[in-house]
Amino acid sequence: MADVINIQMPLWQLSLLALILFSAIAIVVVLLRCIAHEPSAVGEDRDWSVPSLADGCGTSLLHRWDVRCKILTILVCSFAVASLSHLAPALIAIGLSLIILFIARVSFAKVVLRLLAISGFVGMFLVIMPFSVPVHNGDTVLVFNGMDRLSFNLRGLLLAGTIAAKAIAIALLMEPLLSTAPFPVTLHELSRLGIPEMVGQMVLLSYRYLHVFRHEARRMSWGMQVRGFRKRTELATLRAVGNFIGMLFVRSFERTERVFDAMRARGYRGRFPEPAELRLQAKDVVLAAAWIAVVAALIIYDRIV
Amino acid sequence: MHEPVYPICQPVLDAPLLSIRRVFYRYPDNTRALSDIGLDIADGDRIALVGQNGSGKTTLIKQLCGLLPPTAGEILYKGKRLEGEYLDRHRLEIGLLFQDPDDQLFGHTLLDDTAFGPRHQGLSRQDAEHAARQSLQCVSLLEMAYKSPHNISFGQKKRAALAGLLAMQPKVLLLDEPTSNLDPHQEEVFLNLLKDFSGTLICISHDLIFLYELCNRAVVLDRGRIQHDYTLRELVSQRQALRQHGLDFSFRLVHTAPSCDPTQSKPLEGTHRTPALSDESEQRSLVILRDYYYRYPDGTLALHGINLTIHDGERISIVGENGAGKSTLLSCLIGLRQGFGEFRFAGRLMTRRRRKILWQRVGMVFQDCADQLFCPSVREEITFGLHQLGYSRNESRKRLIHALSLVRLEGFEERVPLHLSGGERKRLALACVLAMEPKLLILDEPTAGLDPQGEEMLLDILCNLDVTLLLVSHDMFFVNKLTRRTLVMHKGLILEDMLTHAFLQDERLGNLNELSYTYRRRSTDAILTLQHEHEHRHSHRHLHSHQHRHGEVEHDHLHEHLHEHSHRFVHSHPGDKDNHDHTARHYHSHDHPNHESEDHDHNH
Repeated sequence: MADVINIQMPLWQLSLLALILFSAIAIVVVLLRCIAHEPSAVGEDRDWSVPSLADGCGTSLLHRWDVRCKILTILVCSFAVASLSHLAPALIAIGLSLIILFIARVSFAKVVLRLLAISGFVGMFLVIMPFSVPVHNGDTVLVFNGMDRLSFNLRGLLLAGTIAAKAIAIALLMEPLLSTAPFPVTLHELSRLGIPEMVGQMVLLSYRYLHVFRHEARRMSWGMQVRGFRKRTELATLRAVGNFIGMLFVRSFERTERVFDAMRARGYRGRFPEPAELRLQAKDVVLAAAWIAVVAALIIYDRIV
Repeated sequence: MHEPVYPICQPVLDAPLLSIRRVFYRYPDNTRALSDIGLDIADGDRIALVGQNGSGKTTLIKQLCGLLPPTAGEILYKGKRLEGEYLDRHRLEIGLLFQDPDDQLFGHTLLDDTAFGPRHQGLSRQDAEHAARQSLQCVSLLEMAYKSPHNISFGQKKRAALAGLLAMQPKVLLLDEPTSNLDPHQEEVFLNLLKDFSGTLICISHDLIFLYELCNRAVVLDRGRIQHDYTLRELVSQRQALRQHGLDFSFRLVHTAPSCDPTQSKPLEGTHRTPALSDESEQRSLVILRDYYYRYPDGTLALHGINLTIHDGERISIVGENGAGKSTLLSCLIGLRQGFGEFRFAGRLMTRRRRKILWQRVGMVFQDCADQLFCPSVREEITFGLHQLGYSRNESRKRLIHALSLVRLEGFEERVPLHLSGGERKRLALACVLAMEPKLLILDEPTAGLDPQGEEMLLDILCNLDVTLLLVSHDMFFVNKLTRRTLVMHKGLILEDMLTHAFLQDERLGNLNELSYTYRRRSTDAILTLQHEHEHRHSHRHLHSHQHRHGEVEHDHLHEHLHEHSHRFVHSHPGDKDNHDHTARHYHSHDHPNHESEDHDHNH
């Protein structure tokens, strides 16, 4: 059994290492932000009288794919990627996800926004894990000026890199999953796959009203701000924030009742009308089978490595 | 003695479309909302359902579409009781337009939302989509069919919500404050859409001028009871009845020069451009904006090079269509948004760090006062800002009492803001701001959602405040009454800076800015005439001819004898005097000697 390899390094190199890690993460985040907030050529000027996603006749293979097959395949693929345990297969998974992104022709800015959303979580792994994973035999550890407790474990970095790669590969798949069919259609097909219909309806309504509640919360927060409110570490602040949350809850609750009334007044009796009539075809199943075969090959490769 | 003639109409219908029979309703907390409501509604009726805030109007229309079952009594639709399976089937023929369009637009896109009703009526996906498209076309929103409801303006949301109902081809339309918060142009668009609707229409609104154009029958609710059922012409012409139910909007009908400006500072003439400021003038200025720009995070330019000077004690209004940039300008003035350019308040350059100065010295009452009321009691609500700014308990208490007396809410200290009426909440929001003794008071659509009584009280309060005022409103009556200077905004620019009086007479500006006030003026004049028109009957002699019989002979010829019949009079109020001028125009088919010297027992 191999011993732990300790590489002694001067303390200043710890600062350098931390600086390199933070800088790399910061540069990636800044770049992603620039890409995400770049004014899109499509933007507000698009023609809203035509659908961006016509039912079952989209612009790419993924748009035309049966939604149930797509959901199942991407979910299976996501779980398979999550089960990978080595960096190389995880990097290949990123490559596969990028190919799918390319085929799906989805908005790159939106993909980047998703990556930004997970960047903090992934960055935390990359920074913390090298310093915190337990040292095993065969590990290579950088020790700074004899400070054994603050050792940098390269296996930890590799492990964090693998987790980050898997997270990125899965995040990249979410845009093709959610943006290649209208959202109500995706939720409806989820219910046909066995998810309770009520859950789908709740998600759809939550998505719609999240914007309304966000605006309400912002206006209320402005109402407090213009009367001089600033968050301080004192009881009065806690009380004010409590009142704010309470009032937001009351208003949201009242709105929920009004929305339900409005739905009932237009004939709602527990079910939303079917947003699309989709039929499963042989080519959809073949495509799903091919994709799952690739994923299976990736898992086998991961086990062999 | 002259006796006024007040014809009260309670139409007797053989087969009403909707019939409410002795309906009572109590809320779950046992509060009585409706009492002994009886009403027959014929096919094609256009009913204005009016009453003060809290009189039970919304509860009643919820009963009519089966959303709330009556505690007692029954509601019949086409002769059958509206309940169970029958309700489920026929509810789809009754459309209800909610006050807040966001409550009603729950679809993912406008097309999805509009097709929701037709799909539940049993139409296929294609047919429902066809109906939805036609309906969207009707409200001029077809080009936005695939837009999400949260990405369109308020006026567009209102029209989209109406499209969702029209797609169902309802026989009855129930409308709850359909024009609240709409600019005059959008209001007129909405009015024309509703005029084109051929079915039965029941409309709740505090805006009797709008209702006058739309409806022919008026039902007055007061504390959950139907007090009157008139024609709308009769309702608007009877000031006494209007006042009795807190609906007297007649104060809006008198055309006068602004009378509330306590400052009456230097006279301005016609267009008033912000001039280059001398040092002295700059010192006197409360607010100075020079080349001020604001861009939203998505890159849209909301304010384009604003140049504005507000002097201490001035009363200024800002008008413009929805989306003109008025609210954005206000949020910049109060430091909630930070634009580019020079912004000085009381001579000091305002930066992000100095925003606290603005919050101490500029007060703003939001359009929806619910956005600034969140405390469990009126006392806490008013003293919240004072505590934040570090005022002592004694000082806070003194200001609390003073602010409550200013807005006429004495004794409300322990009341729960959430349980106050719309008008009281608006006055409470004003009190919260006044307690901080602001140098500049900003009011964003202060009359939104208020009943006429609440409006009149608010106007009276605002007239008596001695403060620099900046008013944003679509309500030209308030603009005229409260301000002397008007800024006309359009697409982020201040197009004109002029005397309010001159603005109100400038038809060109109204058209340029899509602020059409024509129908309101037309209705106002018609109502004014009606209010000054009345019938009275009395016995008198005059020469006239009519068919009559003398023994065996039946003939007609001119003759004079005592008889009684109705006369319709129109009088005027010369200037703004209380005295009536009957002599100028009275409409008689024959002479009526000594009419002016006889007693009148009717009110004016």
